[in-house]
Amino acid sequence: MEYRFDKEELDQIEKIKARYPEVRPATLPVLWIAQNKFGHVGPKVQKLVAKTLDLPEAHIHGVAEFYTQYYKEEKGKFVLDVCTCLSCQVCGGYDILHYLEEKLGIETGETTEDGMFTIQQVECLGACGYAPMMQITNGVYVNHLTREKVDEVIEGLKNGKLPQFESKEMRKVNPQDR
Amino acid sequence: MPEVYIDGERYEFEGKPKLLQFILDQGLEVPYFCYHPSMSIPANCRQCMVKVGQPVRDRETGEFELDENGDRVIRWFPKLQTSCSIDVTDGMVVKTQESDELVRRAQKDNLEFILINHPLDCPICDQAGECPLQIQTYKYGPEGSRFEVKKVHKPKRVQLGPRVVLDAERCINCTRCTRFVDEVSKTHQLTITKRGDSNYPITAPGETFDDPYSLNTVDLCPVGALTSADFRFRARVWEMNQTPSIDITNGKGCNIDLWTRDNLVLRITPRHNPHVNDWWMPDKGREANRLFNENRISRPSVKIDGESQVKSSWNNAIETFVEHIESVKPEEILLIGSPHASVEENYLLTKLGNLMGWGTPHFTPHLNEGSGDGFLITDDQAPNTQGIRLLGLSENDNDQLAKRISDSGISCVIILNDALIDRNVLTEDLFDDTCLIYFGTNENKTSQSADLVFPITCVAEHAASYVNVDGRIQRSFPAKETKYSNRRLNLEMSEGRLDRYGTKFDNWVTEDNKVDCLPAWDLFALIGMRMGLDIEYEMGGREVMDEIGRKVPSFEGVSYEQMDDESGIALNIDSKKVKSKN
Repeated sequence: MEYRFDKEELDQIEKIKARYPEVRPATLPVLWIAQNKFGHVGPKVQKLVAKTLDLPEAHIHGVAEFYTQYYKEEKGKFVLDVCTCLSCQVCGGYDILHYLEEKLGIETGETTEDGMFTIQQVECLGACGYAPMMQITNGVYVNHLTREKVDEVIEGLKNGKLPQFESKEMRKVNPQDR
Repeated sequence: MPEVYIDGERYEFEGKPKLLQFILDQGLEVPYFCYHPSMSIPANCRQCMVKVGQPVRDRETGEFELDENGDRVIRWFPKLQTSCSIDVTDGMVVKTQESDELVRRAQKDNLEFILINHPLDCPICDQAGECPLQIQTYKYGPEGSRFEVKKVHKPKRVQLGPRVVLDAERCINCTRCTRFVDEVSKTHQLTITKRGDSNYPITAPGETFDDPYSLNTVDLCPVGALTSADFRFRARVWEMNQTPSIDITNGKGCNIDLWTRDNLVLRITPRHNPHVNDWWMPDKGREANRLFNENRISRPSVKIDGESQVKSSWNNAIETFVEHIESVKPEEILLIGSPHASVEENYLLTKLGNLMGWGTPHFTPHLNEGSGDGFLITDDQAPNTQGIRLLGLSENDNDQLAKRISDSGISCVIILNDALIDRNVLTEDLFDDTCLIYFGTNENKTSQSADLVFPITCVAEHAASYVNVDGRIQRSFPAKETKYSNRRLNLEMSEGRLDRYGTKFDNWVTEDNKVDCLPAWDLFALIGMRMGLDIEYEMGGREVMDEIGRKVPSFEGVSYEQMDDESGIALNIDSKKVKSKN
């Protein structure tokens, strides 16, 4: 498959470039545009970005490899990042991870045959208060996971319905000030 | 003058030096890995930590505040500083590992961090013996490590490009290699991939590291992560000896070191000279070791019956030379000097020509238009084109030289070390009826077409000087022994451990690596003696250069001593007289 940006994206890239005094800072946002369009930033996409921005390929490669949020290979339509860092682990993060593996019939790091789901195990996403939790394709957080909730989310995703971000009422006053 | 106190000693400084460079310039030491004087300063290895403070001044009077002992009160930086990136300022007080326990501890613990995932494979690592990490761990490192878990494994034996091999596990991510390709060679071919403990340098996927300066990253690498595909596993560095020399593969005359063991040049590395090549050299120049080791002409050859060459004794070859010369008139002899030979050799050829009435030698420059890059690679493929222009040899273009042989009644051509047939300047059939006498270093079509071949020493075997494209005269030192030279007697030659402590009966010593050849001055003296001329130079090239300095105006006052002291001398080139081709 040949990867190309069309007119609309190229205009967008020009606008991004205009925001910075030099081209290098545009690397991150342009990689995002590429990932949103192609679903990943594999070697060929990196090459395309390098050519579009007229930057060294090695530079683009280094940036893409640095961030785990850029997918260096093709992934499923929904990437489920299940947190197994300390707080989530204590609250059952691994149970959720293993339940997902069982439910979708794949191991961590794999993609389902229909190309819908990829399961990844990740470190802390900064939502320890809502443990256990997962993130869907670098986007929405799903909190307080239970098996039932996982079933519900997967069912929704199969029908193309992304869960809403669950806002939680925060305490207005810190406990010690009460 | 502004002052700085380092470990209690007072130093004065000028300008705005960085602290680490200033300390190094004083001959003191602070360990470091990522810093390099000719590249940007990322301060990422964190090894050069020192304690830095400023004296406290009274705000109103501007006087230094003094403590009860009358010493200045120092306000220390709250944390240790990387000395590579901090400017030296007036009154600054510095404590290095020599005088401060905290600094010692910081450097030691930093080394423990660096070594967490570094394999302890020094016994099989090419860098061992010249490895900053190894040396500094011995000097400043911890006795052991508290990290007893399994080390992180990364790719090994990655062929990054045709000349560079990566062992990612050994990398300490100093980024010297990526900075080199970004800032010096500007090919931007390398990057650091991944992050944390799994990062290492690599090219973009599918790209090869074919930078024409790629091997400099091997020299820069402070560990054994980047190694030379050619030199890998060929020798331990402490078994070799290191001899300063000059790159002869192009016109820039990069300063180099020849690394020899048992009289083979095993590798070539650049030698720092801010006037010519800074710390760098092109990869092509490093392949010259093959020129010095392989395919050498050893013993003179004489062509019999116009057919095949046979090896001959020196005496017989000299007799044959005289026979050839005496069978023709002096004006039928054409001398061809060479931009590939040194100033001394060309001067002697000229001198011989003048004394014998053979006229001034001719030459043709060896140019490859468009191959230069404005940095260290030049169009000029020869190391001494400017030198022979300054000597006054007569310059021809390629066609003129061939015409001169075929048209003007020439019946004997004497070529000094220039592969003119291989360069397609001359053709073999020119010499069907014309006698060809070749003084050369390597076997090639030209030497094979010759009626008489004299082997002469190459740049790795003699001390001789070369003038680069910018008119800088620089000289080499003998690195390899010939059949007739001896390391222990020739004080210009360096001795490695094996040379000093070995004997000729050791099994790592062979006589085969010594070429049966003579320096041009010795050979010309022998020929001169046979023909009744006294052109003997007992001190070799040094004495020839002294004579050139007296007799040739462009080289006035030039001597080996001055070249050694000033790492080469910029000659006064009158650009109108001498066409400068870069």
